[in-house]
Amino acid sequence: MTYGFSPVENRCRGPLAVNLASGQTLSARNGSEVSCEGLGFAFGSKFIFKDINLKAFKDELIAIIGPTGTGKSTLLRTLAHLIPPTTGRVFLEGKEVTKPSPAIALIHQSIATFPWMTALDNVRLALICKGLAKNEATETSEKMLELVGLKGEEADYPKEMSGGMRQRIAIARALAASPAVLLMDEPFVHLDEMTADGLRKEIYSLVFHPETTLKAAVLVSHNLHEVIQLADRVYVMKGSPATITDEVKIDLPRPRTERDPRFLDYLDQFFNELSVKPLKV
Amino acid sequence: MDFGYLIPLATLATVGRIFALIGLSIVTGWLLAYLCIKSRSFENVYVPLVNVFESIPVIGFLPLVLVAFVLAIPGAIGVEAAVDFLVFDAVSWNIWIGAYQAFKTVPEHLLEVSENYNFGFLRRMRYLLIPHSIPRLTSNLFASFADAFFYISVSEVFTAGAATANVCRGGVCATFGIGTLITRYTVAGNYVGVFYALFSVAVAVIAVTLLLSWLSRWAVAKYGVDTPAVIKRHAGRWRGRIPTPWRRWRAVRGQVAGFSRYTWRMRTYWHTHQKFGNHSGPSKLPKYLGYAIVACVLGYLVYSSLMLVISVPEATWYVFLQETPKLLEYVGADYLRVSVITLASLAFAVFVGYFLASHHRIGDALLPPLQAFAAFPAPTYFPLLFIATIPFLERALPLLYSEVYIFILGFLSCFYYVFFDFWIGVQAIPSEFLDVVRNHEIPFWPKMRKVILPASLPYLITGLSSTINSAWAGMAIGEYWPDIAPKVAPGGLQAPFGMMYYITYNMANGAIGPAAYVSLLFAVVVAIYGVVFTRNLMDLARKKYVVEEGIFAA
Repeated sequence: MTYGFSPVENRCRGPLAVNLASGQTLSARNGSEVSCEGLGFAFGSKFIFKDINLKAFKDELIAIIGPTGTGKSTLLRTLAHLIPPTTGRVFLEGKEVTKPSPAIALIHQSIATFPWMTALDNVRLALICKGLAKNEATETSEKMLELVGLKGEEADYPKEMSGGMRQRIAIARALAASPAVLLMDEPFVHLDEMTADGLRKEIYSLVFHPETTLKAAVLVSHNLHEVIQLADRVYVMKGSPATITDEVKIDLPRPRTERDPRFLDYLDQFFNELSVKPLKV
Repeated sequence: MDFGYLIPLATLATVGRIFALIGLSIVTGWLLAYLCIKSRSFENVYVPLVNVFESIPVIGFLPLVLVAFVLAIPGAIGVEAAVDFLVFDAVSWNIWIGAYQAFKTVPEHLLEVSENYNFGFLRRMRYLLIPHSIPRLTSNLFASFADAFFYISVSEVFTAGAATANVCRGGVCATFGIGTLITRYTVAGNYVGVFYALFSVAVAVIAVTLLLSWLSRWAVAKYGVDTPAVIKRHAGRWRGRIPTPWRRWRAVRGQVAGFSRYTWRMRTYWHTHQKFGNHSGPSKLPKYLGYAIVACVLGYLVYSSLMLVISVPEATWYVFLQETPKLLEYVGADYLRVSVITLASLAFAVFVGYFLASHHRIGDALLPPLQAFAAFPAPTYFPLLFIATIPFLERALPLLYSEVYIFILGFLSCFYYVFFDFWIGVQAIPSEFLDVVRNHEIPFWPKMRKVILPASLPYLITGLSSTINSAWAGMAIGEYWPDIAPKVAPGGLQAPFGMMYYITYNMANGAIGPAAYVSLLFAVVVAIYGVVFTRNLMDLARKKYVVEEGIFAA
């Protein structure tokens, strides 16, 4: 089984990227693109979160919300296997993930672009391991920059760009690697509200654009408005160690508007779930 | 056998000498740094001068200075003054630059508080500038200590030939310390004594290393100020994995390396305040004192240069000029040696340094002993290595064996600087970048070429600069060491040619003129090299390769 790395074959993914001997199949994971079972992470003997089970199906954007300190960002990094989980397993299209892979791309909370590389070089970096000819890599990178609205800015350096433009570079770089799943860790938190709002409106159509290979996306955010605007399903994480306490399907038509009364109902629901209850006197 | 009390006493004398001179460097560094922030003209002369002097390996023309001291101050005091000058020279530049950087990067809001309360010189130093400089200075102490210990074995005993024959025994000047003891034992073939002395040095080095680690940790905990540089730089994935002393040390070094990014702000602050006459305190004395010192230094330099040129007979100048092409070849030969040593150090730093930085458990285990080894002065144990290998190596490489020894001594004396700076540079790469590299499975070579080396370039250049300077010191010893092991190799260790050989040989034989002339040539070459190469490369690194600028976090 392949991971849908078309149109570019991924030559980097070695046999250790997934456990081919595990025998897990697509049907065995209920058709999810990415899923985890019994995932837990501990610093020493103290678990930050444990028993996390979640799934993202094809063409689905799921969100994870929760109070500060519940380990949402760490959970995202364990899904990408950038941090090995203490317990549990992660599956991509039914096969176990055992090391970081371009098939699961992460966009960081702090926007990370290499200052000594132009926008184009930043994106082209993601294609090194594919062993493409330089022209081909350049062409793909230019296409991704165009997709995120940076056509004409290829030769500029990140420090010459605004925060929003830098985040677009990071998104283009993530998409250039032809990932199957995109993980986004508070991707708009460092942007001003106007820029963030603009990117939010674009991101959903961007990640599921026909020219990308993405099949699912996972978003971690504190911004409940953002979550309701973007997510198809929301997992609520709480407690110490944190566990998934609720799973909510956002049943709203797109494009979504905050004026929709049901939008506000979801907002109230999440506020109630996440609010710290005052102590009874 | 006098090992019972003499060796510990000599070790204490050496360590005491080092710490006393480090203390002197710190106090003078504070005063000079204060003059810098109060007088722009003083700063404009002071900083380039310190940079040039720091980049010139003084050991090349050290004998001249030593002889000057010995001749000017007869008796044991003259020898002690000469030795102290050498150690002071080894430690002072590093500390002076550290104090200057610290004073220039005091957070603006703290400066404003001190102005608000109208603090004068003493209060400002006591409550603001000195406390703020402590983390940076303590982080520089290890390098200063290692440098000083390296020079001890050379400086406590030096041969200055006929010039000092009357004041030192047979031209060999010596003062009390462990370096002198080791040299005497080696020359006498007393290898038991050498081993005891080396053991004593090892104990002192480990004790001081532990002390400095603790001091650095304490200084950062008590006096560290949270700056944007620290916050961004140390959000690294490996932060939780580095043992506390190393993490603290790295944090301090991070501030040092990140200095350039913030200096302009401080310059703007200080100079804006100067421009509008908003000086703290009523006294303008430091400013005028700065002017006076600048005038004195420049005047002295011009005057002494003129006097030197005039005092040398015309015929001598003619001979020197005729010799110049040959001497420049010697300089070139030594630059070739330094290049080989530097490349080997760089390769060691990049491969081993990266391995240790990315394999944290092995790194945690190996770095402390490596640090202690680096502080252990190579000239003290090198004769043993020489004695053990010379019979074999002389037969195996009859033409090249001296080059091999020069390389080894040079490498041992300098590899650590670029290694450790690179290691810190890799540690300081924000975790987000390392995630990108892992996420996209970038292979080793592209990863090194496109990410790791550029990201650590500012650290790498700093480390390379220190490595090159220290390589000269190792070569100065290795190219002419006539009494390294008289019983095994009566001819000693001698390079067939080379600038350091020329200088040390001539000095040992009392020919001060030719040694001084080649030293002058060397100083000119180093100054040009420093301005054209090191400085430009550092500017490039600061402009383009500051990895923290790649993280955008509002």
